[in-house]
Amino acid sequence: MMSVEQTTAIDSIHVQEKQKSIRVVQPYWNPYLAGLGLGLVLLASFVIMGRGLGASGAFTALVTTGVNAVAPENAKSSEFFAEYLGDGSQSPLKDWLVFEVLGVFVGGFISGILAGRVRKTVEKGPNISVRGRLFFAFIGGGMMGMGAKLARGCTSGQALTGGALLNVGSWVFMMCVFAGAYAMAYFVRRQWR
Amino acid sequence: MKSQLFQMTLNKKLGLTVGFLGFVAVFAGNPYKGSGATVNVKELAISVEKEVDHVSPEELADWIMQGKADFRLVDLRSEKEFAEYHIPGAENIPLATIPEADLLRSEKIVLCSEGGIHSAQGWFFLKAKDFKAVYILRGGLDEWKDKILFPKLAVNATAYDKAAFEKAKAASAYFGGTPISGVTDQSVQPQVALPKIEMPSQANPQAGPQKKKKKEGC
Amino acid sequence: MNAPFFKFGYFGDDMSLVVAFVIGIGFGFFLERAGFGSGRKLTAQFYFYDMTVFKVMFTAIITAMVGLYYLSVLGFVDLSLVYQMPTYIIPQVIGGLILGVGFVVGGYCPGTSCVALSTGKVDAVVYLLGIIGGIFVFGESFSLIKDFYYSTALGQLTLPQIMHLPYGLIVFLVILMAVGGFAGATWVEKRIAAKGVKS
Repeated sequence: MMSVEQTTAIDSIHVQEKQKSIRVVQPYWNPYLAGLGLGLVLLASFVIMGRGLGASGAFTALVTTGVNAVAPENAKSSEFFAEYLGDGSQSPLKDWLVFEVLGVFVGGFISGILAGRVRKTVEKGPNISVRGRLFFAFIGGGMMGMGAKLARGCTSGQALTGGALLNVGSWVFMMCVFAGAYAMAYFVRRQWR
Repeated sequence: MKSQLFQMTLNKKLGLTVGFLGFVAVFAGNPYKGSGATVNVKELAISVEKEVDHVSPEELADWIMQGKADFRLVDLRSEKEFAEYHIPGAENIPLATIPEADLLRSEKIVLCSEGGIHSAQGWFFLKAKDFKAVYILRGGLDEWKDKILFPKLAVNATAYDKAAFEKAKAASAYFGGTPISGVTDQSVQPQVALPKIEMPSQANPQAGPQKKKKKEGC
Repeated sequence: MNAPFFKFGYFGDDMSLVVAFVIGIGFGFFLERAGFGSGRKLTAQFYFYDMTVFKVMFTAIITAMVGLYYLSVLGFVDLSLVYQMPTYIIPQVIGGLILGVGFVVGGYCPGTSCVALSTGKVDAVVYLLGIIGGIFVFGESFSLIKDFYYSTALGQLTLPQIMHLPYGLIVFLVILMAVGGFAGATWVEKRIAAKGVKS
């Protein structure tokens, strides 16, 4: 019998061997403590801002800015981009979610550095080439982008935030995310296992 | 092994805590404030006196023409009156149905009625239910017709009045009204047909000047 | 006390961006602590190998849910001022399925990919480019899917509303479900680990 904690420890030893250095890679936190921390951040967002967390919206703002810079007419004519563009008085990048996501980059980096986990690598199983993995990462990202926009939110904006607010659409969405992922998992198992 | 034992008990502690909190939650009541309303009379009286919650017809006309979409315009009159004429973008919620109307406390709500009385009463209901941003269209639809749809210019108008009239003409045109100049007697009510209610912003709620920037959500 | 602070006008738009940044740091920090900077750790969820995603997600959900519930009952937070996203049920079902497939294929979700990028995962960079491409395609083809996008609108709808049960009871049921799920998930992990050792 092997517990999760032990497998994690083995993973980290594995990582250490690979990088051939003496840097100590700390194990991940107890999932319930990490979840508690995450939940308190979400709660703080509710109490301070009256809104939840998000991620994909920031990238929509980025894409809108890009499209607007290259082809302003195109951006204005698309109802979708126009909504993010607003009346044009300020950049779509001056947005709550954009700043929040910038914080996510920084927060992730702080935690990673403290735990000795920052290292240039490609996350993949042993049975797939780097090129193959990057190909799948791009395809998966594309689907994620489209799915998140269709569902009006991603795992953070819908599942996490809406879940805590007992939002019907968010709970249905969350079930569908797990259903979609479990249904697809078998076909891409060589990527991870 | 020792750390694992510690961890097991920690997880169990967390589980027990949340289980207890959840159990208490069953009896702790509704987190939304119910239909029973509490009124801070003093606060209400002050805001009534200061008239901070009034919107003039000119302001409202400006908002609509600029395509501002951060407020909801609620018409408190009967359905019949609403069908005859209403300000573009308004939604009809007769006063009697205000308590169960689908309004959010976080929304900016502008109330309008024939004059100002029903709006004031609706305002009080909503304030008592802890709505934060409720405004009254000053003078109601009477003043709206007077100032926006059929602005008048007296023969002996001053230069300042004339300038204001020019501005009012633009608004009047936007809302399909008829400006009237050269009026000698202010009390004469002109017999002009009310504009048809097919307004640009009314025809299609998704198009039109409504270009609100996405502010929330993922 | 009146919360949410922002909705009561205690600070303005510019300050809210600073708040956003600080909250984002917290968000990113705990995502990384949980191990969500690793695509292998995340996707292990879908092979029943490591159920951390489920555990962390539901712990976060019940923490925020319980906290918000009690703060509202005590009158500290006005729950009706917390933004509820309107439900568009069919687009959300389809969007969720696509997103789920994208999750296991790409290895991340948008938030976790940011954390993965900060900890040096090259695939996360490519994944983020994919997201940007996906959003671009969605935006450009919006006129084609617009009708579907706005279909089955149900407005702002919560579980207590459709189930006609008190809010507190739903809170309790969600907790029971989550805690039961945690026990089940740990059991599954052990079973899978045992199988792995044997084979």
